[in-house]
Amino acid sequence: MNKRSALAFAATGAALSLGLAACGGTSSSPTTPAGGGASGSGAPAAADAFNAGLEKVFNPSDKKGGILKMAISEDWDSVDPGDTYYGLSWNLIRIYGRSLVTYTPAPGAEGRKLAPDLAESLGEASDGGKTWTYKLRTGLKFEDGTPITSKDVKYAVLRSMDKETFVNGPTYFNDWLDLPKDFKSVYKTPDVNTDSAIETPDDQTIVFHLKKAYGGFDNFAALPGTIPIPKDKDTGVKYREHVIASGPYKFDKVEAGKRYTLVRNENWDPATDPIRKALPDGYEISLGVNADDLDNRILSGDLHIDLAGTGVQPAALGRVLSDPALKARSDNPTATRTWYTSIIGDVPPLDNVDCRKAIIYGADRVGLQNAYGGEFAGGDIATGLMPPTLGGWKKLDLYPTGTGDAAKAKEALTACGKPDGFETIMAYRADRPKEKATAESLQQSLAKVGIKLTLKGYPTGDYFSLYAGKPDFVKKNGIGLATNGWGADWNDGFGFMSQIVDSRTIRESGGNYNLSIKDKEIDAKIDEIFTKTEVAERDALWGEIDQRVMEQAYVLPGVWSKSVLVRPQGATNVFVTGAFDMYDYLNLGVQ
Amino acid sequence: MVTYIIRRLIGALLMLIIVSMVTFSIFFVVPRLAGATSEDFASRYMGRAASSEMISVTAEKLGFNDPIPVQYGRWISGVFVGSEFDTGAAIEQCPAPCFGYSFIKRQPVWPELVDRIPVTMSLAAGASVIWLLGGVSVGVLSALRRGSIFDRAAMSVALAGVSLPIFFTGIVSLVVFSYGLGITAPGGSFTPLQENPAQWAYNLLLPWITLAFLYAASYARLTRAGMLETMGEDYIRTARAKGMKESSVVVKHGLRAALTPILTIFGLDLGLLLGGAVLTESTFSLKGIGDYAVQAIVSNDLPKIMGVTMVAALFVVVASLIVDLLYAVVDPRVRLG
Amino acid sequence: MTAPLDAPGKPAEVPPEAVLAGSDAKAIQGRSLGQIAWMHLKRDKVALIGAGVVVLLILTAIFAPLIVSVFGHPPNEFHQEMIDTSTMTPKGGTGIGGEFLFGVEPVNGRDLFSRVIYGARISLLIAVLATFLSVVIGTVMGVVAGYFGGWVDTLISRAMDVFLAFPLLVFAMALVGVLGQFEQSLGVSGDTLRIGLLIFVIGFFNWPYIGRIIRGQTLSLREREFVDAARSLGARGPYILFREILPNLIAPILVYATLLIPTNVLFEAALSFLGVGIQAPTATWGGMLSQAVKFYNVPHFMFFPGMAIFITVLAFNLFGDGLRDALDPKSSR
Repeated sequence: MNKRSALAFAATGAALSLGLAACGGTSSSPTTPAGGGASGSGAPAAADAFNAGLEKVFNPSDKKGGILKMAISEDWDSVDPGDTYYGLSWNLIRIYGRSLVTYTPAPGAEGRKLAPDLAESLGEASDGGKTWTYKLRTGLKFEDGTPITSKDVKYAVLRSMDKETFVNGPTYFNDWLDLPKDFKSVYKTPDVNTDSAIETPDDQTIVFHLKKAYGGFDNFAALPGTIPIPKDKDTGVKYREHVIASGPYKFDKVEAGKRYTLVRNENWDPATDPIRKALPDGYEISLGVNADDLDNRILSGDLHIDLAGTGVQPAALGRVLSDPALKARSDNPTATRTWYTSIIGDVPPLDNVDCRKAIIYGADRVGLQNAYGGEFAGGDIATGLMPPTLGGWKKLDLYPTGTGDAAKAKEALTACGKPDGFETIMAYRADRPKEKATAESLQQSLAKVGIKLTLKGYPTGDYFSLYAGKPDFVKKNGIGLATNGWGADWNDGFGFMSQIVDSRTIRESGGNYNLSIKDKEIDAKIDEIFTKTEVAERDALWGEIDQRVMEQAYVLPGVWSKSVLVRPQGATNVFVTGAFDMYDYLNLGVQ
Repeated sequence: MVTYIIRRLIGALLMLIIVSMVTFSIFFVVPRLAGATSEDFASRYMGRAASSEMISVTAEKLGFNDPIPVQYGRWISGVFVGSEFDTGAAIEQCPAPCFGYSFIKRQPVWPELVDRIPVTMSLAAGASVIWLLGGVSVGVLSALRRGSIFDRAAMSVALAGVSLPIFFTGIVSLVVFSYGLGITAPGGSFTPLQENPAQWAYNLLLPWITLAFLYAASYARLTRAGMLETMGEDYIRTARAKGMKESSVVVKHGLRAALTPILTIFGLDLGLLLGGAVLTESTFSLKGIGDYAVQAIVSNDLPKIMGVTMVAALFVVVASLIVDLLYAVVDPRVRLG
Repeated sequence: MTAPLDAPGKPAEVPPEAVLAGSDAKAIQGRSLGQIAWMHLKRDKVALIGAGVVVLLILTAIFAPLIVSVFGHPPNEFHQEMIDTSTMTPKGGTGIGGEFLFGVEPVNGRDLFSRVIYGARISLLIAVLATFLSVVIGTVMGVVAGYFGGWVDTLISRAMDVFLAFPLLVFAMALVGVLGQFEQSLGVSGDTLRIGLLIFVIGFFNWPYIGRIIRGQTLSLREREFVDAARSLGARGPYILFREILPNLIAPILVYATLLIPTNVLFEAALSFLGVGIQAPTATWGGMLSQAVKFYNVPHFMFFPGMAIFITVLAFNLFGDGLRDALDPKSSR
């Protein structure tokens, strides 16, 4: 799912203000000379080398000024904090909005750790993890100078739950907060008392009440939904035309679908913000730029950042990887995202586990890797559904990962009672070249073992709501295989797996992301997970679920996604954050 | 004359209404025949978190359960008097002309289209000047020097020109001139005319030339054929016999007669182009009407598809209306027929 | 005037009178249409070359499996050993050689030669059948409108105006999407369904171009002496229609059909380019071009399908031009 951000490791409960003090010290004092002990810890500028921005800050600096230029070839869902589900957006939004908690601006795995933002510290759990309390910092102000209170945070969270108005964002608050039955939305039922879900005993304190205990609530608090919104400035869907800034930058010009410019927000006080450096004087974001031109401009140094953060286009990929000088300017991070093909057991003969296994045995796994873009732009061949960056991951070795094992596939087919193979239909998203290539590759390799695939492309926009994600349609049309992919909303088993393995999330009306995993044993394990308080125990159970998924051959994993990013020329503090697996947009500066 | 104009205007309006009915039924009736339900229509507007209950409510709210004529009536009345849409947070106004309200993007279609018209218009304007001047002059020269090397070469190039798809020539020229030599702007470049005229022209130069090449080729062939025919007419011989200068004969008599049918076609071509140069825009990543149409279709955003189809049809109908009216002015016989 | 290709189509180019002259020739010389056409065509080397290429293309399409079995590999077969797994481009740039005459595709290493050859099948099949559909509808409508006149004529003419006002390409794209949902009720699927759909959409929207011309021809034929003569001899409507008028329409129909085919080749390519044509993995020229755009650093990928479209369209245009000239003594070169 492209909208899925690849969010970070939930260091649940771990207090971590470590190293932040150092950051805060320099970013809040504009007089500090460049290079003075920032998050690079005074290290010398990193040299141009492949993956130089992966584990270290490349070209660290505290120099202020300049305009940071970003561009994107398409548009993303929204700049409204209550209406966005793109990883790039969750990354970018932090320059103009401050959530209760956010991700530490640091390279690699360190970047997955949560740090308090609006809040003074991470959440304080009580009532066995059902109640979470946050204290806001003092001196917080919106761009118009009015103080930010806990009521603005509460309003923003409740507002983001109105899925009729804001269709894009995540639904975690809807699913977990203990709201009264008669509450519909902040617009329709503004007078309903919602204290059973969120309390604001004073202007600095906000208390969340959950339906059931959840130890990782700080991950919810890091969602853009907790970015405060002043009620009197809220204009519903039109709020995106002027989002009120709480971060160091505010919108200057908003031309939807074309251009955003952001300038400094004079009412942002660095003293209240230990993690932001706020180096550039402004941001220039162009939308709808030709994708190839965008790559070329980054390579030539005319542009700093491809906002999408998913890597270069095929044409530029060839250039970057074959030119050593350009390759030295690139980073190759692994995302918490798996591209896979669902093997749908509703459709005979795939209701038989051996027939499903035959598909995994017969598939050319290298061919699938190539279809997704090869070893650099595609990713590593996946042996399970769960990506290796997640806690509880263990290497599964149930199936060969070569170019297809015809003998084993035949064996499985015989066991399934279809020694001569069978026919089925494979769905893919027609306007995604990589998924088309995946379908073509599978068709070729499975034909060799007698499994005949008919390929059917469906429009991306309706793929889950009307086609592959609608059980009725899948059965009626005999769709046995469907390509898709999933990225974690944050980096733990829950953030990755919950939406795609729990059979009880499947709705007959469509819009499902779990296309094929309908297993009572897995459902029972998920229930068990919520009874466990220890992170390690929960992680281990997620790992077991992953194993069960592969044993039962519910999915054919493709790759654990990687991307080839080009480091900007003339930008400072460049590094890949483990929270989003793209460059961190929070503290970039201009040389 | 006035009655003629009125008659043509009414005709044009009727035509647009029929076009809208046909379009409407294709997008809203045909899928139903294929088994789509009101909920299927509604679920497109719902985002990922919709429950089936919410989808039914939305289907009702958006009126997908109403009889088709009622739905059509609501749409068409929106065009003339505007309409309102409930976004959940508030009732959004969609003022006339309301060509629909995109529930996926959550905004009225018309302002989005208006926003894109300058791109398509700039593309069409520049290209049409080039192809008209280029095509006609090559055609005239070819006709005058019929059989010469120039004629043969020009007509061969013209024939090649009409045989090339723009998505091939466009990409090849981008690769060669923009990405290779770096002398023209890369794909997706557009600067509004009022912002910087020089930049505007520079950015559009390559799309203009590529698009104009196709049209120029066909106009050159047309002009040549027309000129050959008129230059053989009796009145040309008469003009020559009167001792008129050859240049005046060509320009005053020959070209004028040959140009009339070309201007008709020019009017219609321009109308069609303004309705969206789909392939040119998608090849050069220009955000015009044609690109909008493609995006609308890819995302299956029905109100957008309806809106853009109607606006495109509007351009064609208006263009042919103007051509007809000009004809009526030039040639009084038309009014009788 | 054919909107689809952002460029003017051929049918509008030829003034109807030019073609009508063909029937004059018949009346005067008393030779069969074929004889006259052949007499002129024989002398027109360019048109003959065009015709030769057209014949070659048709043979290629028919014998594609044979050609590919001798000179290439199955069109959908992967050859990943030819691909550099980091850049996803063919090893050594193109892969062109004795084994792969046109090189291989990036990513999966499919044989470009085989795919271009197979692409001819789809392209010609759709273009020819869609043209046939347009000609049938256009002729019937045109003759009916022209022959009966009155309100029938008004109705059909208005219908043609409506069709001409549609933004064709946009409409065709949307229609293919909408009609694709009928898969189950129609009981066909895959390529067969898509080919049928494309033929229908392309053919159905192009008939007014033919219809208008035929209507004009019929109108003027109706008033001709030989029709009057037949009528005064007591001939009835159907006789006049089928024995007097239709035979005289064959020349223009032939010419316009030939000139409509290349337009339809471009139309199909455009739809495939925009992603609504035939689905993967079947090879189409337009579909290959749309993939090649992303791999513009491997130019051979766009060159071969692009040239295939160009040569096909050019050949039909050359032949059609020649045919028109052959049937119209006035417009000699």
